[in-house]
Amino acid sequence: MARILLADDSETILLLVRTRLEMEGHEVQTAADGQEVVDAVREAATPPDILLLDAMMPRKSGIEALRELRAAGLDCPVLIVSAHTGAGDANGDHAGLAIDAYVTKPIDFDALFAKIAELTAG
Amino acid sequence: MLTGLAVIGVARFLEQRQDFEDATARSYQLEIEARNRLTSGDDPAEARAEIVSQQRRRQVLRDEISGETRDTALLVGAGLIAGLTGAALLFSGLISSMRRPLEDLVEASGRLAGGDLETRVEVGGLQETATLGAAFNEMAAELQRRAGERDQLDRMKDEFVLTASHELRSPLTSVQGYAELLLLEREKLTPKQAETAEVILDSSRHLVRLLNDLLDLARSDAGRLTIRPETTDPTSLIEEAVRTMRAQFEARRQQLDLEIEPGLPTIEADRDRIRQVLVNLLTNANEYCPAGASIGVEARRAGADVEIDVSDNGPGIPPQQLEHIFERFTRGDAGETQRVGGTGLGLAISKSLIELHGGTIEVFSTPGRGSAFRLRLPAARERVEVA
Repeated sequence: MARILLADDSETILLLVRTRLEMEGHEVQTAADGQEVVDAVREAATPPDILLLDAMMPRKSGIEALRELRAAGLDCPVLIVSAHTGAGDANGDHAGLAIDAYVTKPIDFDALFAKIAELTAG
Repeated sequence: MLTGLAVIGVARFLEQRQDFEDATARSYQLEIEARNRLTSGDDPAEARAEIVSQQRRRQVLRDEISGETRDTALLVGAGLIAGLTGAALLFSGLISSMRRPLEDLVEASGRLAGGDLETRVEVGGLQETATLGAAFNEMAAELQRRAGERDQLDRMKDEFVLTASHELRSPLTSVQGYAELLLLEREKLTPKQAETAEVILDSSRHLVRLLNDLLDLARSDAGRLTIRPETTDPTSLIEEAVRTMRAQFEARRQQLDLEIEPGLPTIEADRDRIRQVLVNLLTNANEYCPAGASIGVEARRAGADVEIDVSDNGPGIPPQQLEHIFERFTRGDAGETQRVGGTGLGLAISKSLIELHGGTIEVFSTPGRGSAFRLRLPAARERVEVA
């Protein structure tokens, strides 16, 4: 199964998503903000298979973290979790970040698992 | 100036009339004195001659005054005509100097009524039209100021709904997510616990629907409800919507019949949004109709449109509710809505979405017999291949 780096500033959501992902057999590492995401990726021996980032987090948002990581050459698939419906078209500044999909809160876990399977199948 | 002549004429006439009357009175006086002398005097011949002389004198005076009167009347008449002509000339000058500003005002009012709140008129010309112009400009400025305030309030309202929707989404994610988590291990729960978790899950799903609907409405109000139309096959779209709802109809033992005319033309549609409208109509039919009811979905070509009917043989909609059915928070009667899980926003959003597609949505209902909703969506234009 996939090695997933999960980031959300809400502990309850982090625990919920982590639990569900682990129940599906994924290996999950968590981060509470964008800076922790950047640090985790830099310190890891091999980059994660997939990033699952909350778009809005204090200190450094998921989008800012992704921008830094993409600039540094990270090329794994990325899912952005957002409380905004239609986040994809609302934020034109996501161009060039190679975001694979947007996940809207509340999370539809079946759809999320299907997306992860599709992105890590190759 | 000519009017002045008439005034002089009248004054002269009055003066002459006074002279005539004085002279006539003197003449009568002299005649009376002569008549007295005729009976008591010593020279009757002289008295008789005086009487005749005075009568002649008065005749001469009468002739004079009538001549004078005629001349004066002519003078006055001429003066009056000239005066009136002058007045008319003056008035037509007045009219033409008023017409331009008035026409401008009429045009500007039209633009203002049409929504161009920046419309102003040039203030000038006669004092009256200038005053009118200034008043108009003041009114337009006030309208513009109020419209500005209203727009700002609208923006604040939309912003609030967007923010509230966003902020509520995170806790709802937890409520819904943890209830789902509990139910994943249903076998470890007592029946009472499982039922409780179901209630939490249902309620949170309802809240999410409400939130999504409110968000759509706020976007619609802000003109930010957008669709991404693509050339699409209506048949598969209708089938998809019906498939999503099958289980709900079966759960209430309701019959769902689908009849789609073969070879429907393609439509320019945002599939997600049209599916949302169809699911909303089907959900309403499912929830408002009693168990065992029949629901039909029919689609056909109608001129340049594709027509989709969602009909049922349920309780129908009373006429007073039918009028307001597409307004927000209009719902079936209270007894029903306790059971029905809708948000009261679905039809209002459906109408906005269908109209964004250039289509229409109509409702027909006979209480006790059933209801039918009819969607009309314009067929896509045939693409002409250019060699």
